[in-house]
Amino acid sequence: MRDWQAIARGLGLEAAATEAVTAPLEALEREFRPLAADLPAELEPALEFRAGEPE
Amino acid sequence: MTIGEAAGRLRRRRVSSAELTAAALARIERLNPPLNAFITVTAEMATARAREADKELAAGRDRGPLHGIPVAAKDLFWTRGVRTTAGSRIFENFVPQSDAAVVERLEAAGAVPLGKLNMHELAYGVTSYNPHYGPVRNPWDTSRSPGGSSGGAGAAVAAGMIYAAVGSDTGGSIRIPAAFCGVVGLKPTYGRVSRFGAIPLGYSLDHVGPLAGSVRDSALVLNAIAGYDRRDPSCSRYPVVDYVPEEGCSIRGLRVGFPENFYLERLHPDVELAVRGAVARAGSLGAEIRPIRVPDIEALNAVGRVILLAEASAALEPHLGDRGRFGADVLALLDQGRLLPATDYIQAQRLRRQIQHEFEGLWSQVDCLFAPTTPDVVPRIGETVVHLGGQDEDVRLATTRLVRGINVLGFPALSIPCGLNGSGMPIGLQIIGPAFGEDLILRAGAALEDGGVGIPPCPVKT
Repeated sequence: MRDWQAIARGLGLEAAATEAVTAPLEALEREFRPLAADLPAELEPALEFRAGEPE
Repeated sequence: MTIGEAAGRLRRRRVSSAELTAAALARIERLNPPLNAFITVTAEMATARAREADKELAAGRDRGPLHGIPVAAKDLFWTRGVRTTAGSRIFENFVPQSDAAVVERLEAAGAVPLGKLNMHELAYGVTSYNPHYGPVRNPWDTSRSPGGSSGGAGAAVAAGMIYAAVGSDTGGSIRIPAAFCGVVGLKPTYGRVSRFGAIPLGYSLDHVGPLAGSVRDSALVLNAIAGYDRRDPSCSRYPVVDYVPEEGCSIRGLRVGFPENFYLERLHPDVELAVRGAVARAGSLGAEIRPIRVPDIEALNAVGRVILLAEASAALEPHLGDRGRFGADVLALLDQGRLLPATDYIQAQRLRRQIQHEFEGLWSQVDCLFAPTTPDVVPRIGETVVHLGGQDEDVRLATTRLVRGINVLGFPALSIPCGLNGSGMPIGLQIIGPAFGEDLILRAGAALEDGGVGIPPCPVKT
C-alpha cells in the first residue's frame, strides 16, 4: 500500500485536510490494486488520440 | 401535461407559448423558494422567446414538437449572456459568450429556456446539497435530497416548473435525480450528444441528456439534441434516428437480461420489490426475461472512480489555488485526484478496455438489461451514511453503485419511475442498452409506461 499520508504531506496538504483525502484513497487502492495487478502487457488503455485525421 | 399534449394544444391554438411560459414562470415563482431548483430564472428572455415562438407558429414556421415549450438547462451549460456557475463560486461571475451545443439545439428546435438549474457543486456529487447556492429540495418531500448532480433538473421537472431539462451524467447524475424525483432521465451513449460548452468534470465520462416527465418526452428532447458536432472531439457520426417510440409500441420478443449478480445485492427491500414488479410486467407484455450474469461491475466502479478522480482534478487544477472557494466534499475529491499517480489512471483505462470486451459478449445474449437505478431509498438532506444489507455505506458510493459503471462503458441507460417506497418516495428502474441503442431502451421504457409501470404525479409537498 502507498503511504498516502506522506504523499499528502508532500503535496502540502494541511494536516486537518489529510484524513478526508487519504482514507478514501486507501479504500480505493485496496479495491483497485488487485484488479490492475495482472493485466497483459499488450492491453492498450482506452485513450483515443488521432494524428490529424481528416475531417 | 406532456410535451406531446402541449404541442398538440399549441397547434390547435388552444394555448399559446406565451401562456405556457407565463404559467411555468408563475409556478417557478411560487415553488422555487421552497425547492431551490433554479439558480437563475430568465423570465424576460423567456417571455420574449415565447412571443417569438407564437409568431412563428402563426406564420406557419413550425420547428417541431419542442416549439414553444418551456425547458431549462443545468447551470453548467454555457448560455450566451447568462451567468453559468456550475453551482460553484469559481464560476460565480462567468458569463459565456456563446451557447453550449445542447442549448443551441434546443433553441433551434423552438424550445423556450426559462433559466439555469441548481446542481451539486461542479457536478461532483449526488446530493445537490450546494454550499454556495443552497440545497435543492425534493418536491416529494422537502426534507429529502432530489439526488444529483442534476438535482435542480429533477426537482423542476417533477414539480411541473418545466416540461423538460438537459442535465449531465458523469457517474449517474441524470439517472439518480430522475429516480429520486420520479421522472424519466436518459444518459445517451458517449458521443451521441455534444459536450461542447458543458463545463467539464470527467472528460471521458461526461454525458449530456434529457430529464422529462415521460419516456416519449425524453425521446423528443433527444431528437433535438443528438448528432455530430465537430467542436466535441468525442462526438460520433453514427447516424441519428427518430428516437420517439410509436404509440402502442411492443416489446414482444425483446430479450431482457435481468442480472443475477451485483445489481440485486444490498438493496432496500422496497427497491427490489418495485424492480421485480416492473420486470414481471415486461414479461407479461411479451418480453423474454433472461437471468444473466454480468461482468464485474464492482471492478468497473473502481475503474470509474480512479478515472474520475484524475480527470476532474486535471480539469479543475487551474482553480485549486483558491481552496476557500470550494465546498469541503468537492475539495476533498479534488485533492484525492491530485494525489493519484499517472500509472493508476493508465491502468484504469486499460481495465476499462478489458471490461468493455467482456460486455461485448453480453449483448449477443440479451438486447438490454433491467436493473434498479439506485439501491437505496431517497436520503434525507445532509444524510451521509445509509444502512443497506446490514452494512453502513457512504451515501455517495451507495447512490452511484448501480449507475457509475455504465458511464465507464459509455452505454446508454434510461431511468423510469417504477414504484413508490413505504415513505411515498419514487423508485427508479434502469434500462441499459448497447452503444447507440437509445431507440431500443426508449421503446422498452415506453412500452412499460404504456403498460402501467409508473407512479402518480408528484404531489409537490412544500
